[in-house]
Amino acid sequence: MIAQVIFSLLLCSVLLYAWTEYRRSPVVALLSFVVAAAGVYFVWVPAHSTRLAEFVGIGRGVDLVLYTWVAISLIVLLNLHLKLRTQLELITVLARKIALANVNVRPVEGRREPGATSVSTLNDARTSPRKPHPAELDEGRSRRKRDRSA
Amino acid sequence: MHPKLWVICAAYNEAPAIGRVVTELRRAGYKVVVVDDGSTDGTGQIAAAAGATVVVQPINLGQGAALQTGIDYALSQDADILVTFDADGQHRVSDIPRLVDALGRERADFALGSRFLGQSYNLPALRRWVLHAATVFTRLTTGLRLTDSHNGLRALTRQGAAAIRLRQNRMAHASEILAEIARSGRRYVEVPVTIEYTAYSLAKGQRIGDSVMILRDLFAQELSR
Repeated sequence: MIAQVIFSLLLCSVLLYAWTEYRRSPVVALLSFVVAAAGVYFVWVPAHSTRLAEFVGIGRGVDLVLYTWVAISLIVLLNLHLKLRTQLELITVLARKIALANVNVRPVEGRREPGATSVSTLNDARTSPRKPHPAELDEGRSRRKRDRSA
Repeated sequence: MHPKLWVICAAYNEAPAIGRVVTELRRAGYKVVVVDDGSTDGTGQIAAAAGATVVVQPINLGQGAALQTGIDYALSQDADILVTFDADGQHRVSDIPRLVDALGRERADFALGSRFLGQSYNLPALRRWVLHAATVFTRLTTGLRLTDSHNGLRALTRQGAAAIRLRQNRMAHASEILAEIARSGRRYVEVPVTIEYTAYSLAKGQRIGDSVMILRDLFAQELSR
């Protein structure tokens, strides 16, 4: 009984996680929800898990629950990967803005200090503000909209 | 010579090759922007000394990210035609006019170089096989009928360049460009070009194992749409 309650609480936290993730990555959220809901059901009705386990050739119902837990872990791992990708996209946008704000138009002879490593510093004084690309404006608008709705 | 044509080179640690590439492009009269993708070997300085405009990304992000940065820069400079050109010296400057002519002649927005319609020297057999497999993959996923889906030599009109947006920072950008072209519904044309592999470009180029990473990145992007 104690193990059932603990497992149920853990699986309910996965259900909650799936609900909060739905807007960000619906595929991962739906997968998590289905697997976690099946897990809760089988924790409380182990006889059915045993029957299903026998049907799919796993053997024991408890093994099925264990496999379900492994599946949830993999889905959460996938979601973490997707989140890291989103973070990298934001970093890319930031790095691109920095790069385009410091463009070296032409090498300036004799102005380089010994040991200087970045050509982006050669012509900073003459750099003019860059017009934003229309797609960048769209990107910014959609990101702000997403952030507001999150 | 087209007055508003910009050649974009994404470069990461290309010190041995970038100087010659930029010099040849500048000698042919092209405006060149080199996007230095966080190099540590002085690539940016060499490119600048050879006459290129250099955009330095503060950290290494990958070829796809660097190309998008170069596209953004060229568009901000009112470029009418943008040409992507590999920094390792495997492309020929003499192919650029063919790509540009094809854009006008076919009224296309994208002219894509094809080594299999043209010529390739020293192309390893295994890489040839992988490239053919990539064209099949491209046809299945985008519907584009191409003979060479991973060629870095391309010409884009301003409208074409503005219609695509690269989110794949690394190797998968080559597939993403094609997906974006298909999504845009704009005309494209393939143009025969020559690619000459050297020991340097083979060492710098993609490994066969990278194709697995590309598939992973494309799959992850589909999930996070």
